Amino acid sequence: MKTLKILTVAVVGAIAIAVVSGMLDTHERPNLFAERPTPNKEQKDTSIKEETAFLKGYKIGDAATDFNLKNIDGRKVSLKSFDEAKGYVVIFTCNHCPYSVAYENRIIAIDKKYKNLGYPVIAINPNNPEKNPIDSFENMQVRAKEKGFTFPYLIDSEQKIYPQYGATKTPHVFLLKKEGDQNIVKYMGAIDDNYQDVKAVKNKYLENALQSLIRGEKIAVTSSIAIGCRIE
Amino acid sequence: MNKIIALFTLLIICTACDDRPIATVTAIGQDGLRETVSPNDKIKVINFWATWCAPCVEELPHFESVGSSYLEEVDMILISLDEKKNIQSTVEPFLKEHSIKSSVLLLDDPYAAEWIPIVDQHWDGAIPVTLIVSKNKKQFYNKALSKVELENAIKEFL
Repeated sequence: MKTLKILTVAVVGAIAIAVVSGMLDTHERPNLFAERPTPNKEQKDTSIKEETAFLKGYKIGDAATDFNLKNIDGRKVSLKSFDEAKGYVVIFTCNHCPYSVAYENRIIAIDKKYKNLGYPVIAINPNNPEKNPIDSFENMQVRAKEKGFTFPYLIDSEQKIYPQYGATKTPHVFLLKKEGDQNIVKYMGAIDDNYQDVKAVKNKYLENALQSLIRGEKIAVTSSIAIGCRIE
Repeated sequence: MNKIIALFTLLIICTACDDRPIATVTAIGQDGLRETVSPNDKIKVINFWATWCAPCVEELPHFESVGSSYLEEVDMILISLDEKKNIQSTVEPFLKEHSIKSSVLLLDDPYAAEWIPIVDQHWDGAIPVTLIVSKNKKQFYNKALSKVELENAIKEFL
């Protein structure tokens, strides 16, 4: 009799479980029959186009916009603030991103070396600090002091400059050359190809481009893919 | 009777829970990546993330929950871009804390410009991104996805 009771409970339990799990399975099955499995090529292409349109920015040879953004010392900085410069190394970077942090020492070294040759670094934080408080203006001041930044570190507080350049991540470099009253984009992309280990770098994209500009030669590699943290 | 009710409740709870173990991390290189992104019979949803990437961490629960409701149709693969030296100290504790049960790989290769094009020519190098591949279809999302967006994206492949 006891066995029967246990057995009944087990059966009732099993049925209840099956019912409940069926109810819990919210997984939709819109088509129980097979449709023609031909991929819709046109549809696929349009969605890819949408994605890339979103990423539109400067191309090599375009004239880059000037800006007037607040530096960590409280003063406003523009490209035209640098009378002596032959061009600029504009780097969109920030505090929170490990890729940016990994490149801090290299950015300082590039500024020290190329500022005297006419190409100063101008760093711009494009992120909205509300998304990540580590990227706030106050924290930019703290980080610049800790690391001894030798270059201006500006905040794109209205987030209007980075979309014009087409910067999508940090760090993202735009090398500009003064030509008349315009600033022409000569190189875009990464600083080099190994964020982890300076000694294992195979391609020093930015430095090679700077060297070519200074020597008046054609830049061999004008753009590269940079890994980074999406600008928010 | 109380015992039976307790047992019954327990059984119900367990049918609702996902009994897969917490994921562990497997490090891969460029060859492993090439194999991972190549099409298979089963739909692959491949998300690139990192423990320090706030928008990635925000969207991970969607991949977990959607992944667990499409276990039979979809291989959910989370490729971490954290550094290999941080697997034990950071990545695995993170997986435990967030109860991540999807497959987790870690791409151990700093030469991003070499492997980004393997994933998709439209990838600009920022994370998070998601790639969905099946035998005859491929879609790349150069942004973070909401739960609804992810479900709709998967439904396009079913």
